[in-house]
Amino acid sequence: MHSTSGAKSAHDPALDDFRIDQEPYYRSVGHEVALFEAAYGARMPVMLKGPTGCGKTRFVEHMAWRLKRPLVTVSCHEDMTASDLVGRYLLDADGTVWHDGPLTLAVRSGAICYLDEIVEARQDTTVVIHSLTDDRRILPLEKKNEVLKAHPDFQLVISYNPGYQSVLKDLKESTKQRFAAIAFTYPDAAIEAEIVASEAGVKRPVAETLVRIAQRSRNLKGHGLEEGASTRMLINAGHLVAGGIALDQACEVALVLPITDDADMRDALTAAIAACL
Amino acid sequence: MQSDEAIRAAFPGDLYVTWGDVCRRLVGAGYGDVVTDSYLRHSPELARLASPQAAIALAAIVSGLAIRAGRRAASLAPAAAIVAAKRYNDAAALQEWLRLIEQVGDQAPESAGALLDQTASLTARLDVRALASWIRIGLRSTNGEPERRLRFFTLEDPNARRWLLRESGEAGFLDLEPRLKPYLAALWGETPPMRETPANAPEQARRRPGFDGSVVRLPAAYPGFSGNDSEKLYRAAVAHIGAHLKFSHERFPVGGLKPAQIALVSLIEDARVEQLAMRELPGLRRLFTPFHVAEASGTATAPGLFTRLARALADPAHDDPDPWVEKGRRAFFEAEGYWGSQQVSRRIGDLLGNDLGQMRVQFDPKNYVVQPPYRDDNLGLWDFGDDDQQQSSEAEQVLSSTRIRQEQDDRRPPDRTETEMGDTGGRVEVIEQAQDGVLVARYPEYDYVTGREQPEWTSVKEYAPKAVANGPAARLAEEHADLVARVAALIRSARVSRAERLRRQPEGEFLDMDACIEATVARRIGEAADHRIHGRYERRSRDLSVLLLLDISQSTAEKVRGSTRTVLDVERQSASLLARAMAGLGDPFAIAAFCSDKRDDVRYLRIKDFNRGYDGLVDARLDGLESGLSTRIGAAMRHAGADLARERSYRRLLLVVTDGEPSDIDVEDRQYLVEDSRKAVHHLNRFGIDTFCVGLDSNADSYLGRIFGQRNAITIAAVERLTDLLPKLYLTLSR
Repeated sequence: MHSTSGAKSAHDPALDDFRIDQEPYYRSVGHEVALFEAAYGARMPVMLKGPTGCGKTRFVEHMAWRLKRPLVTVSCHEDMTASDLVGRYLLDADGTVWHDGPLTLAVRSGAICYLDEIVEARQDTTVVIHSLTDDRRILPLEKKNEVLKAHPDFQLVISYNPGYQSVLKDLKESTKQRFAAIAFTYPDAAIEAEIVASEAGVKRPVAETLVRIAQRSRNLKGHGLEEGASTRMLINAGHLVAGGIALDQACEVALVLPITDDADMRDALTAAIAACL
Repeated sequence: MQSDEAIRAAFPGDLYVTWGDVCRRLVGAGYGDVVTDSYLRHSPELARLASPQAAIALAAIVSGLAIRAGRRAASLAPAAAIVAAKRYNDAAALQEWLRLIEQVGDQAPESAGALLDQTASLTARLDVRALASWIRIGLRSTNGEPERRLRFFTLEDPNARRWLLRESGEAGFLDLEPRLKPYLAALWGETPPMRETPANAPEQARRRPGFDGSVVRLPAAYPGFSGNDSEKLYRAAVAHIGAHLKFSHERFPVGGLKPAQIALVSLIEDARVEQLAMRELPGLRRLFTPFHVAEASGTATAPGLFTRLARALADPAHDDPDPWVEKGRRAFFEAEGYWGSQQVSRRIGDLLGNDLGQMRVQFDPKNYVVQPPYRDDNLGLWDFGDDDQQQSSEAEQVLSSTRIRQEQDDRRPPDRTETEMGDTGGRVEVIEQAQDGVLVARYPEYDYVTGREQPEWTSVKEYAPKAVANGPAARLAEEHADLVARVAALIRSARVSRAERLRRQPEGEFLDMDACIEATVARRIGEAADHRIHGRYERRSRDLSVLLLLDISQSTAEKVRGSTRTVLDVERQSASLLARAMAGLGDPFAIAAFCSDKRDDVRYLRIKDFNRGYDGLVDARLDGLESGLSTRIGAAMRHAGADLARERSYRRLLLVVTDGEPSDIDVEDRQYLVEDSRKAVHHLNRFGIDTFCVGLDSNADSYLGRIFGQRNAITIAAVERLTDLLPKLYLTLSR
């Protein structure tokens, strides 16, 4: 086995597509920016916990932009194998040729690798990150007979929604304990309204109403809904309103129908929305 | 008597002769003048209103009623028929109505008179189909006891009123409950239990909602409000109570307050919490306001003034010139800055109460009902200081009529249990200790004739299974060692052969030769090769929960042909063998048995629960089963399904072993329980529970196929083979 170092030139052209040039809008709600910067300073792997649509992905994009690092995002799914992350030999006309997977790409060239919804991936897949997330910071490429040392700028970030996964889908203890975790929730009403107003381009009172509506649907979490309306859904509704759709209709389309198939639940939610308008 | 021409006009042609004949027959039968006069007087009118044929057919019904139900009922029928004819104005409907009267005369003669007495109100509320359905419920729910029937048809029985409401299509609480609960949760984040006001509560309590610390109580229905309005009314009631839960933090001490003051403080408090609620949820105004309809006119009675005040406080746009109402309104809105405190209500209420006294307006606490109807009876707002009964007795009067015995609320009305499936997973609450079984749940039953489910029609009671040592199931291993060994082998192979060979994979343990050759060929001819040239073995993990449901009705006591063993013996041995198999495979499984004694006693015995291991106790309990009673399979399946629904496996299977057609002694229609069971199966399937049935009856093909679907049922003619077949079947099903 030979060993290579990821440290190449500061600007790897392979990663140009992964760079974020424009500042992604992110409204900080606590100390998460400082926490992340400190963790990145120590190249500590970070786990972002929180319900869907509360801004985890946006936060990572924002941090990548802040830290001026390229961001390689992988959406995990249950058919994903270790090779999908690490890379594989493919056949071409002359024989085999090695292709780096997204994780390898990030390790080699010092990007932030963001594994979105890591628990969706099978547990035997997720163990490939173990050697990267302790003091070794290496990625063994067994098939290639190579041990890749991580680029000094490389950092691993995973997101994890503890809510809706079943017991079967949980992170291994040995995986969990490698990460520093930042907890995300839906922001306070005022901040959330600010976010919705800014992202969807609607007036502040509309955004406030949307946030009140979201509060109603979040009340139903565990009482018929798996999860209440997320900030993302509110922004969607806001976009529809900005596009000239009436508020009640926009809520029906963006907040009620997507969230439940149960007729009674839908009815209750629609009635509760009517109470907010 | 009417003129002959008029009668001839009503019965044209030959029908006049026929009518004469039936009249003579009625007179000749000697039912008495009351009966014959009634027919002679009303039948021509009926002929004109509906048809001469109907009027003639009526004679036979009158005659039948006179014989079975008595002269009074017979004499009521002709006038009632006219009412029905006017109401339905449709020949077919009238014919159906006549048939119903005839049916009641036959099957419930004692009640025919009572039913006919109420023709006007019943036909006004129910169309003929709904009436048929209501009568059917009356006949079936009273278990053939004439007194109960009579109480039903005179509407003395609260259930009769409840069914009537349901049939009349006026949306009731039970229909709306699944929407109201999440509505309250969404609005206020409050999830108190919601109950229907018990039918035996005082009249006033049944008309208004209420709440106390733990339970929200809603009327069974709001009579007089049609579907949509009544839904809005319920919503308003729930939103209003939610506002109380949110903003009425303390109970007012009753102390020395007069009834009128109590009513007024409550009224102001209602307005206060609604105003606070509308600050947060402005849309509630649209919900509440339409129910405030009091006009600023009429004499100044206390209830009238109260209603007007309620409107003035809820609807600022409304103008009421009455000085007292105006004073109340001004005081209330001037205190806007202090609405956060409950003391505002107390202060303004006291003030207005004093004024009312000075105006000498009488307040009658006994007949006072809170208005508008969505508002609750305010019982939950007051602290009666129960040890100080003496003092508060007068004050309590305003509310006493609405006060339900405390213990009832504490225990929760026994007629509600959680039966929903899905995410609550068919949670059941143990609520009532029956003599030897414990009532755990009520389930609906499907009536194919009306095409509807009757909610809470069956009661499932769980009985503790007896354990008998060293019975046939326990001895299975010794007596049928060969069988046990065979099943064990079957399981071994099932367990090890579960790895599957997957071809054409992008990676794997071995090269898939076919794919390699194809890829090489492709490459040689210069095409892009498919890189999926590997193969691997993969073990598919089993993720399956099974509930085995055994029928132990009386018929299982019969001997198996050519054997000394009973059907039940075979069942328990098969179950025991299967239990071993399932335990060997490590699949979570449960075993239960059922039989039934009419709809209010469906017996359910848990032999083994999912969370228990398989051990000697399971065999002992299987051996302790005894045959008896009937087969109400639908209710048992619903209950078993609720159990299974809680399992978090990928596949959930309900395996039913039954030896006969669904039946029970309170059901005569053979098709009824078959159709209900079919409905139950559909329901389970909808919740992702597979059902499979093994029938131990060579004639079972017809109805088991109907219930479970042809592919999900097999019948075994030779019962003895069950023992051998069940594990094999299981392995096939679980693959």
